[in-house]
Amino acid sequence: MTTKRLTLHTKRTARCTMMLLLFFAIEANGDEKISVNYDDHIAPIFRKHCFQCHGESKQEAGLNLASFATSIKGGSGGEVLIPERSNGSRLFQAITAEDPAERMPPNNDPLPADDVAMIRKWIDTGLKENRGSAAVPARKMNFVPSAKAAVDGPAPLPENLPALPSIKLNRPFPVLAVAASPRGELAAIANYERIDFINTVTRTVIGSVPFPEGEPHVLRFNSSGTVLLAAGGRPVQHGSAVLYNVKMGSRLAEIGNETDAIMAADISPDEKFVAVGGSGRAIKVFSTSDGTLQQTLVKHTDWITAVAYSPDGKLLASADRVGNIHLWDATSGGVVLPLSEHKGAIKALAWRSDSQILASCGEDGLIVWWEISKGWPAISKPEAHPPVRPAGMYGKIANGVLDASFSTAGELVTCGRDGQIRIWSADGSPKASYSILGESTKLNQKRSVRIVPLRSVFANGDQQILAGDSAGQLHWQNVQ
Amino acid sequence: MTNRVQCFRFVRCFSVGCLLTILCAGDLVADEISFRRDVMPILFRAGCNAGTCHGSARGKDGFMLSLFGYDASGDYERVVNEIPGRRVNPAVPEQSLLLLKATGAVPHSGGKLFSKDSEYHQTLLQWIAAGAPDDTGDVPVTTSVVLSKERYLFKASRLEEAATVTAHASDGSSRDVTRLARYFSNNESVARIDVNGNITAVGPGDTHVFARFSRFTVGAEVIVLPENDNFAWPDPPKANYIDQLVFDRLQKLRIAPSELCDDATFLRRVTLDLAARTPTLEEFQAFTADNRPDKRAIRIDQLLADDAFTDYWTALWAEQLRIIGGNYAPDATDIKAADAFYSWIHKQIESGRPMNEFVAEMVDSSGSNLTNGPVNLYTMLVHKPQFDPKAFAADFSQVFLGVQIQCAECHNHPFDRWTQDDYYSFVSFFTGMKRKSGVEPRERRIYCDLSAPPARHIVDGRPMPAKVLGGINPVSAGGDPRTTLASWLTAPENELFSRNLANRIWAQLMGRGIIEPVDDVRASNPPVNGPLLDALSQRLVEVKFDLRSLVRDICNSRTYQLSAKPNDSNQRDTRQFSHAHLRRLRADVLMDSVVMVTGVDRRFNGFPEGTKAIEYYPREAGDTEGPHFGDPFFATFGRSSRGTVCACETKKEPTLSQTLHLAVGDTVRDRISANAHIARLLESKLPPDEIIEQLYIRTLCRRPTPFEQTALKELIGENVSDPQAYEDIFWSLLNSTEFVFNH
Repeated sequence: MTTKRLTLHTKRTARCTMMLLLFFAIEANGDEKISVNYDDHIAPIFRKHCFQCHGESKQEAGLNLASFATSIKGGSGGEVLIPERSNGSRLFQAITAEDPAERMPPNNDPLPADDVAMIRKWIDTGLKENRGSAAVPARKMNFVPSAKAAVDGPAPLPENLPALPSIKLNRPFPVLAVAASPRGELAAIANYERIDFINTVTRTVIGSVPFPEGEPHVLRFNSSGTVLLAAGGRPVQHGSAVLYNVKMGSRLAEIGNETDAIMAADISPDEKFVAVGGSGRAIKVFSTSDGTLQQTLVKHTDWITAVAYSPDGKLLASADRVGNIHLWDATSGGVVLPLSEHKGAIKALAWRSDSQILASCGEDGLIVWWEISKGWPAISKPEAHPPVRPAGMYGKIANGVLDASFSTAGELVTCGRDGQIRIWSADGSPKASYSILGESTKLNQKRSVRIVPLRSVFANGDQQILAGDSAGQLHWQNVQ
Repeated sequence: MTNRVQCFRFVRCFSVGCLLTILCAGDLVADEISFRRDVMPILFRAGCNAGTCHGSARGKDGFMLSLFGYDASGDYERVVNEIPGRRVNPAVPEQSLLLLKATGAVPHSGGKLFSKDSEYHQTLLQWIAAGAPDDTGDVPVTTSVVLSKERYLFKASRLEEAATVTAHASDGSSRDVTRLARYFSNNESVARIDVNGNITAVGPGDTHVFARFSRFTVGAEVIVLPENDNFAWPDPPKANYIDQLVFDRLQKLRIAPSELCDDATFLRRVTLDLAARTPTLEEFQAFTADNRPDKRAIRIDQLLADDAFTDYWTALWAEQLRIIGGNYAPDATDIKAADAFYSWIHKQIESGRPMNEFVAEMVDSSGSNLTNGPVNLYTMLVHKPQFDPKAFAADFSQVFLGVQIQCAECHNHPFDRWTQDDYYSFVSFFTGMKRKSGVEPRERRIYCDLSAPPARHIVDGRPMPAKVLGGINPVSAGGDPRTTLASWLTAPENELFSRNLANRIWAQLMGRGIIEPVDDVRASNPPVNGPLLDALSQRLVEVKFDLRSLVRDICNSRTYQLSAKPNDSNQRDTRQFSHAHLRRLRADVLMDSVVMVTGVDRRFNGFPEGTKAIEYYPREAGDTEGPHFGDPFFATFGRSSRGTVCACETKKEPTLSQTLHLAVGDTVRDRISANAHIARLLESKLPPDEIIEQLYIRTLCRRPTPFEQTALKELIGENVSDPQAYEDIFWSLLNSTEFVFNH
């Protein structure tokens, strides 16, 4: 039965990919037809709203928008237009600022929505000067996957873990956390008061370790796959993090004693620190050797929903429930950068293996690939997981992106409230997608409990995608 | 083996599992727990979705529910799906945070709301154990809620009675929701009601207790009788149906009405109420000398026929409709427009136009603000450079129906039947209202753009076609929807409209509405005498919405003519009209009365000489948004600033600055020294006691008492022709509370 289902999935994925390709081709053609350019479309807008202060006679802040060249050159504060990055362009930020004190034109109504859309299109299609000109080349993404942890040999698998007494559950526990070993055929799955190890080839449970602390919300392997970090607890009662020896199933360390379940945690690449966060709004960094609190990082104003160390160990990224991301110096705990783009709770942070790109996703439906050296979005995908709108339904549909995780090769897998798992190429283009609801989609609509995928990771040396859903089910997908 | 392995089997047998689950799911079954039918009421009853808790606009401590549950599907999302496994944990149901918080098992800012062995806990647990399912298909919705009795009568304090609450659903079923409703009393010093619906009599009086369930608030009257077995109903004569109904009520409450007021008091009261000024010396003398038994009724008719009555009611409407003249063109409220509107209203009142036709014409009018007076309803009711349908709909409903539907903009009205659906459908009547430039800069042409889309529901963005309040079906498309609105609004069958008008007229004459405040009609603010309001409203319909007829009825009633002096049984009564209310004169009536008494005119900027204070409306050299008093006297004495349509804009409270202004300000002082009355009286060589009497009648519409006469004559002493002494007396009279109040 499993096999049959997978085949179906594969067929469907292939079909979906083809349809997607078709769709993008059409959209690209449409773009070419409109081909927004400075001379025909943008200059009239600038003339009407901007020239008075940023024109030939007067250049506030050194900015002259009266010609294409001077517009591209920018003002005394630097460039105001970045090709293909409207959100990162100072000019676009200025005309769309919500605060009237910050917004251009000053002391005036915002630009008409059509004009804003036109300017956005102009930037995102590469800042063309006129009908005939080519787009200003966008920045290339210099992605070089970093080497795997310098450990040879296969990943350690748990051996002969003692059987645990079975717990009577009312129904399967939602898959709150999934981690795949970076070195092969092992994955760890959160279960109630325990963590199950699964052989990703045979797809069977090969052992479990107890987590009497409660519900594991976060699972992370260290880079060599020998240690598993589990963090969680019981809501509004207790929270802590535990380090397990993967092979023996033994406990190496118990860290933190929080008053609420830990919702975000990571272990530093040098394995010296564990950072945790939750409803307490502060990130706590503990020493793994003696469990002492090393740093308390205070900047977030709401629950911490994700923390992640960069693979090079230099930075710590953290995210919260109102959409703020902060970058910290992993050693000193100093503030490095805020990253603002999300408008809703952030659900996951993921570092690409070269530490150059951080991906974030959240309930606002947005996925952002952050260019860390610059601190702006390299790619941003709004409505990355758009749910199908039922006929006759108006208003907002929950379209959150619930998890994001990179493969070693820099592909990103995400899952969302649309029930889909989506794979994105390193350049941010959609590569494939499939539904965890599979052939049961139709049946599912009649059911009164909605099933959503909560976690999705690359597993088994990036050959598979493993996802877990809110009904406690796992879903496997081979990756081509 | 381990649970996960079982779970794996589940994965393998996914399709089979699905089928099995399907067999268990399906439409609502009686013993299945429904989120909307069973869970939401518990969240309401426990207070989770109250405004001070998670129902606040931004939620509480990171968890938000819709206020009193106006958005069930949103609430389901937030409870179940927002953070999977936390608030509800279907795997280990008793570990769900929802239950742990509510039972106080973990720290909770809202404290413990119910115990672990309560039925509420049981229901929630059962629902979570079933997987916390959302409802499928049509869930029966509550269509009405009924209290076990309409009236609870307690013979003495400390007695108790239990109320039960029944909810009827759209599928015809009904259930006892006594343990799911919430209760409150309008006056806890009369009766209390506890969380289980037990009513306790506290002290004598009458009030209402309420039960709330779903989106309904239902009330029952509670009467607690005074412990006075010797009460004897004096059985005063009844002039008309008004007395019948007021006295019925008073008798039931064991309150005896005051005596009839004397002729002088009546004359002053009715002149102030109908002509907006104090009576003259001549009027006093003529009225007191008149021996006809029906002289009061005759006087009422004379006053009703007088121009002053038209002027006064024009002023009241102009104030309510917020007439302000300006010169900022986008507001479309130029002085010329204001004048056009004002004189149109004057004409309607003067001709005795039925008030429903008068309102209907305004509602359904289009055209130039400068030449078509009534169209300025759309420029004056809400002063803004652009027409704002939402603000207009809210003010429109408050003025013409007395209903404040604006609560339903963000959530269903918490204390009335109005839902967000009602609100947005009502707004849609005005979404097409536009202004365009006319032939001259001051002119704006008001029209209805028939292609304008309807308002959208705030929760789900659904377009809401225009629908009258409480209506089932939207008005038929095509044509100006305001035509339908005008005819629905002013139809004799529309009780909201006729009751609102009747109540406002009553309040104007009696100093207090049967529903008070007059513009806050809602289920939880019921009339203090329902049959009386019904009768007045019916009467208004009978007389074809003739203002003067209803005013005549009220003024002729004994109730209107009761003395302000209370007796033993009615001195605590403030709301059943058992005695006349002391009312401070409105700012404009006070000014006109001072002018009347002193005979010295008051000029108003921008208005011709001889303009009365009641005929004045603010004229500004600019835009007309916000509060405008015009003359500073009006600010001091609390005339409506016309900043909003609220009845509370007209301030009735006396203040220190008012007292100081009358004592030392220019209004009284300058007029006493400037007026010729005293000089003329001295020239006429009248004896001091007659001069004093004339001053008394002129100011207070009564003769001085012998005690006052003696004391004042002593004050004058030998200098019987010294104007200073009489000026002091005149000043004192004008500064007395007797002058400043209508009594």
